[in-house]
Amino acid sequence: MDTNQNDYHISFFKPTTAMAKWNRNLAIKLILVWAVAVFGFHFLLRAIEKPTPEDAYVKYEKVWENISTENASVEEMQTFAHTSLSVLGKVFIKPNEKATLCNAVSWVTYQLADSLEKNLLVDKTRELEKIISEIAAISEPAYINAKKSLSQVTSSILGLQQSDPRRLILSLSLTSTEMDSFKDVNKEMIPAIMSTYLIHNQSFLTDFVFLGFPFHYFYTAVFLLVLFVFLCWLYCYRVDQKYAELGIEE
Amino acid sequence: MKKFLLPIILLLTPSLLFAAGASTQLEGGFKMGPAIILITILCVFVLVGIVFRAKDTTDFYAAGRSISRVGSGMAIASNWMSAASFLGMAALMYGTGYHGLAYVVGWTGGYVLLLILMAGQIRKYGKYTAADFIGDRYYSQGLRAVGAIIAILISISYCVGQFGGIGIMFKWILGIDYALAVIIGGSVVLVYTLISGMLGVTKNMQIQYVIIIVSFLIPLFILTFKFDYFWLLPQIGYGSVVSDIVSGVPIAETTQMFNSFGHEYAMVPAPEYAMPWDSATGQTFFQWIAIAFSLMIGTAGLPHVIQRFYVVPKARDARWSVVWGLFFISILYWSAPVYAAFGKILSANPEVGKLAKDAIVVYTAQLGGVNPLIVGLLAAGGVSAAFSTVSGLLVAGSSAFAHDLYVKIINPKASPKMQLLMARLGTVLMAVIVTLLALKNWALIAQLVAVAFSLAGVTIFPLFLLGIWWSGSNKQGAIAGLIAGLLVAVIALTYFIAGKEGVTLPYYEFVNYWLGAWYFAWIGAPLAILTNIVVSKLTPETPLEIRKFLVLNVHS
Repeated sequence: MDTNQNDYHISFFKPTTAMAKWNRNLAIKLILVWAVAVFGFHFLLRAIEKPTPEDAYVKYEKVWENISTENASVEEMQTFAHTSLSVLGKVFIKPNEKATLCNAVSWVTYQLADSLEKNLLVDKTRELEKIISEIAAISEPAYINAKKSLSQVTSSILGLQQSDPRRLILSLSLTSTEMDSFKDVNKEMIPAIMSTYLIHNQSFLTDFVFLGFPFHYFYTAVFLLVLFVFLCWLYCYRVDQKYAELGIEE
Repeated sequence: MKKFLLPIILLLTPSLLFAAGASTQLEGGFKMGPAIILITILCVFVLVGIVFRAKDTTDFYAAGRSISRVGSGMAIASNWMSAASFLGMAALMYGTGYHGLAYVVGWTGGYVLLLILMAGQIRKYGKYTAADFIGDRYYSQGLRAVGAIIAILISISYCVGQFGGIGIMFKWILGIDYALAVIIGGSVVLVYTLISGMLGVTKNMQIQYVIIIVSFLIPLFILTFKFDYFWLLPQIGYGSVVSDIVSGVPIAETTQMFNSFGHEYAMVPAPEYAMPWDSATGQTFFQWIAIAFSLMIGTAGLPHVIQRFYVVPKARDARWSVVWGLFFISILYWSAPVYAAFGKILSANPEVGKLAKDAIVVYTAQLGGVNPLIVGLLAAGGVSAAFSTVSGLLVAGSSAFAHDLYVKIINPKASPKMQLLMARLGTVLMAVIVTLLALKNWALIAQLVAVAFSLAGVTIFPLFLLGIWWSGSNKQGAIAGLIAGLLVAVIALTYFIAGKEGVTLPYYEFVNYWLGAWYFAWIGAPLAILTNIVVSKLTPETPLEIRKFLVLNVHS
């Protein structure tokens, strides 16, 4: 910006004074760092990601064919129920998909129960459903007892270990009217549900753990904010330094 | 058949029957402790507003340009840390996992652009409002009026989410209906803004910042300590919570931990929470990038943010106030994901049911067994966050109404008393419109606020960017660019509102995906900039006095 000139033009990309050129260069450097750090990283994340199935999905794939044709062994039925419970315990799940999985779990549990357990299972599930429709709070003893009683029957049928968090979901996934059959419409939905919920975009950037975080999560949620503050600080510091050098008073 | 069976299946599924049960217990009725805390805080705000109230128009618009850079940084942070930051961000991460981080990055990364490209220059330009700059720089009263109207629309759009947040917190504290809560909360914030002006608001913002950040951080220390994570720095300690969500938390056999309902601290593996653009969340890579980008440029174009640079004494102070502001903001943004992560595990048991995402910050503290008074303080902090932003927005909007529309265009001879009256009338009008829109409850708080960012990104941002950095940008270019940007905005918002009102427009899925209401600036802003450049090149040059002003005053 030469104030002696009569044309008075300003252009970020065509600075006319040394100071403007310096400012432009600093701005470009910082914006480049900013852009690469934010968008470059995420494009990289996208480029290297691979659809990675959870263990539950790998197990599901092995048993699904026999389940869908209703020729599965006890172990295969248990594995399928475990997988369905893995999805039912997910953080994001649509209500209609939840209903489909509940049908799957209810049907498998009923199929695996012996003749004595079958009646017990249906009765206890009905009892729990009835209590749920009547109670005002989940802390009511009748509800707690009914849930516990059903859980004792079901956990052994599905062979869930004591520490398995799927035990917490099981009793509440059963539906007394859904036990006798695994509906065709629900069977059709299962493969899509499983691949939607059990396959994830992963790479070494997501698998590597840093300060307890998956690395990419730390990078975005913590590091980028530190970088933004640093870039702002650096810009102010460099401008102040330059103005002091040139004796410019704003 | 499927359509017929589904509701029956849903009704008969026990886990789904809890959709209201436990969450209703969390909601509860009237809460005395939190109500007292909230009323006390509001009284402090009003008192501070009265003590530092505006005495004339300069005070009302720009706080007499007497605020220090750290104070201004705190005010920027408080002004910024709205219900969308306090409540909405955790809600998004709770609902969509890693996708929510696009909002964290977008709402902080934009400050880098704002600082490097605009802050100092805006202060040097020495105007009161964004419309002032647009009208002067593009030598057009018409553009000044359009700029003022856009500033009002942005403020209204931004306020809708805030009023929603105020409603949710008032609902939780008072145990009343959402609609009534919005009306009560909106009335209180309106009265407060009318009593004070920007001077009172700025002083209040510094107090509000302290209240917001303290109330937000205390429960985090308690939660990380209680559930045995690194509690000295919860913003790092929660990394293990995220990893636990990914790998799953088994039921502990020895040292058992429970949520406030007595459910074990356990959950099945849920990598979809942390993995990018996971199919389970229904969000894509494109949406992540588009949201982050739109929020960033929107940040650099928000009138009420830009306006804050007018209240510092010098351009240097404007620059440093951004650094301080961003640092103060980041403290909250580093912390918000902690609530979402704990919320996931603590609400993993189906008995907890479906929780209102926008209240997840408070629910998480409740589920974590945090003392009710501290939860009350947290809720009051949420209200405070919304209040601080709303008051700033109402001032920015009413400034645009009174200063840019009334004084500069309709009645240039208006007395200072008349100007103040018009500013207050504008505030009331805006509050009424915002209340009516907030009652619609169209989307999550953060998403509603993001609409304002995209609107700013396609209108104000291109005008400021080119206006400051390219003297070749002229009136015709500005008008053409503005039309291009507004066209994109109108299409996106028409589809959004039509969809919410149950009207299906042609190509709805396509337009709604590529021009989402909270990220249409990804294409709208570049289009507006390009149009501005092309038309400016083809039309007469910017007048000499404007170019001279840019060279001698803004870039000297």
